Amino acid sequence: MKPIRVLIAKPGLDGHDRGALIIAQALRDHGMEVIYTGLRQSAVQIARAAVQEDVDVVGLSSLSGAHKSLFPKVVKALKDEQAEDIPVIGGGVIPAEDIPFLEEQGVKKIFTSGSPTDAIAVYIKQLFAGEAVQEPKRIAHIGIAVEDIEEALPFYQHTLGLSLESVEEVQSEQVRVAFLKIGETRFELLEPLSDESSIKSFLTKKGPGVHHIALEVDDIHRRLEQYKTQGVRLIHEEPKTGAHESQIAFLHPKAGHGVLFELCQPKE
Amino acid sequence: MSDDKKMKQSWEEDVEKTKKRFPERKETFKTSSELTVDRLYTPAQEDSHYHEEIGYPGQYPYTRGIQPTMYRSRYWTMRQYAGFGSAEETNKRFRYLLEQGQTGLSVAFDLPTQIGYDSDDPMADGEVGKVGVAIDSLEDMEQLFDQIPLDQVSTSMTINAPASILLAMYIAVGEKQGVAPEKLTGTIQNDILKEYIARGTYIYPPKPSMRLITDIFEYCQTHLPKFNTISISGYHIREAGSTAVQEVAFTLANGMAYVDAAIEAGLEVDQFAPRLAFFFNAHNQFFEEAAKFRAARRMWAKIMKEQYGARNPKSWKLRFHTQTGGSTLTAQQPDNNIVRVTLQALAAVMGGTQSLHTNSRDEALALPTEESARIALRTQQIIANESGAADTIDPLGGSYYVESLTDQIEKEANDYIERIRKLGGAVQAVEEGFMQREIHTAAYEAQKRMEAKEDIVVGLNEFQVDEEIQADLLRVDEALEKSQIQKTKQVRKTRDQTVVDGTLGALREAARSRDNVMPYILNAVKAYATVGEIAGVMREEFGEYTGM
Repeated sequence: MKPIRVLIAKPGLDGHDRGALIIAQALRDHGMEVIYTGLRQSAVQIARAAVQEDVDVVGLSSLSGAHKSLFPKVVKALKDEQAEDIPVIGGGVIPAEDIPFLEEQGVKKIFTSGSPTDAIAVYIKQLFAGEAVQEPKRIAHIGIAVEDIEEALPFYQHTLGLSLESVEEVQSEQVRVAFLKIGETRFELLEPLSDESSIKSFLTKKGPGVHHIALEVDDIHRRLEQYKTQGVRLIHEEPKTGAHESQIAFLHPKAGHGVLFELCQPKE
Repeated sequence: MSDDKKMKQSWEEDVEKTKKRFPERKETFKTSSELTVDRLYTPAQEDSHYHEEIGYPGQYPYTRGIQPTMYRSRYWTMRQYAGFGSAEETNKRFRYLLEQGQTGLSVAFDLPTQIGYDSDDPMADGEVGKVGVAIDSLEDMEQLFDQIPLDQVSTSMTINAPASILLAMYIAVGEKQGVAPEKLTGTIQNDILKEYIARGTYIYPPKPSMRLITDIFEYCQTHLPKFNTISISGYHIREAGSTAVQEVAFTLANGMAYVDAAIEAGLEVDQFAPRLAFFFNAHNQFFEEAAKFRAARRMWAKIMKEQYGARNPKSWKLRFHTQTGGSTLTAQQPDNNIVRVTLQALAAVMGGTQSLHTNSRDEALALPTEESARIALRTQQIIANESGAADTIDPLGGSYYVESLTDQIEKEANDYIERIRKLGGAVQAVEEGFMQREIHTAAYEAQKRMEAKEDIVVGLNEFQVDEEIQADLLRVDEALEKSQIQKTKQVRKTRDQTVVDGTLGALREAARSRDNVMPYILNAVKAYATVGEIAGVMREEFGEYTGM
């Protein structure tokens, strides 16, 4: 994936660039390419640099109190350069009551004094992550923990009348699974193969029942990446191989407010 | 007589002399329990380390302070930095602060003034009157000091690249009030090297900038003998994120560069060195800060005596102003800042500062309101009058911890100074970006520690509360920019343009030659040439610095 390019700029005459330099460095540490303009840049200079450097986002810093005049001018200058699609964010010594005005003037987001650099990096990544990763398409399956698949199957097959698609062992998770098709989705019955299996501990703690909901997604890598930057708690930061050789990863049940979600990208 | 006795006796003689001019505040100083507070406490057994490295107040190497009686005679000067909007408005704030018991003025100029632009210059757009007062012509300066007798207050001006212009205006206002230049007291910051390093209000490249500075040294030697010609500033270096050691090292290295430049310009060290002043920061780590001031004082004394061969003890004394650390203030729970400022101010007093600015609680959000500025001044008055901290000299002297910190800061700062010397001195090191890089690394490390919660900032990364937006902030009237522009246009209309052109032409010639530019600038100022016009001539002659 192409790294996000950021222009950090100091509009006006303000010479305080500790914050601008720290943010530039922090964004670099987050894998972005950062260009810093240096001090005393006019709005037009900043807009031209943004276009020339082909950046994805412009970050402005001002501590002199001139933000209400200078930030909107940069937004306008970008428009004059036909580059209004480049979002402008800002920070510095900016009273909270000025933020609505600046946002109204087209500044996308203001980070005031004390904002952690990580929050700024995450925000920028989100600006661009949002476009590529689409919402989950459907429920791939609903996982149900059982003590013994053979014992549970008659209910699903005969009482409900669903058809059994397959039974297989997933060694990585130490489970045996049975899939039963229902409409567009499936039930997945999970039986532990050993005491190490997480299904075993689930059964010990809670007894048999609904264990997780799996969401079918595309681009599981990028989605995990995005969740990571958003600070979503994950059980698996990297996908692993699940049933049918699909790529899977679990979110932490805390993230799902008590529901264990699995991301599942089927094998092509 | 033993060394012990000789040193002590010499100090005691100085105390008697000093007391004649500046009597001590009280006959005897006592604690609440009626215990007598001595002027100075010394080790039971003085050793050679004590004599060589610590010594007595007012005696080389001045670790314990530069005056024999310190605050027993006079408190430090309480000097609050102020200025915003128009000259009239700032004049009102100045008179208010003087009425409240402030003992010196400190002028904040707006950014266009500090970078040599008039208010109607396109570069000044949006910045007029924002971080300080807008001064375009002598008329603004006259209004700024209206009804403030310049022979009775000392004025510190935070002005660097155009220092010569603003100093000339101050001289001209004094003359109009009937105050001769030799009676003027105060300080101009005039420290360009730290502008390149940390503060950003440079105009010209280093070489002509250094010349302007030595021109001021030379001019003041004869005409303003009581004026501090420079305030060599670690404050902004620290604000940019340096450590305490870096602050001392880079400031003293810059100081040495000015001394070198002045000697190179043919000045005599003992003529100009007594008028060099310093400006440091007071941050949160109480003991390190107090030790830092003590170390800086000792280092400068050694540098001036041993390296430059200065013989006048006044050349050895590091006199300094302190401001509490602006970057330590939080926008969150702003009243907590009062406590931070108190600790920082106390560290400055423990370190023996000559003057002090205490920041206001709301400065992470905006310029201070009148109420906040008053609390900040009251903080100093409480330390002075209620805490007892000023009743004995160098109360932390002799603390194992503080003496050890003082020694370590001196050692580490000296290592840095040596590195800078190897790079060819401070001017060269600045041009190569050495200090800038060191500061940035320290700043980034500090930020990471804070974000990882290794360093706790109360209210910021721990002990947070949900809070309302603070609405009661000082706002600079947006209409000011327009009215200031109008005023300057009016000045240009009513002055004698031929005289202005003549003085500016003469200044241009002087800038090209090796003449001292100060008298030419003074003439231009008196003709109501503006800051932008005068700086403009020098911009054309000297060129502009464009950063790294």
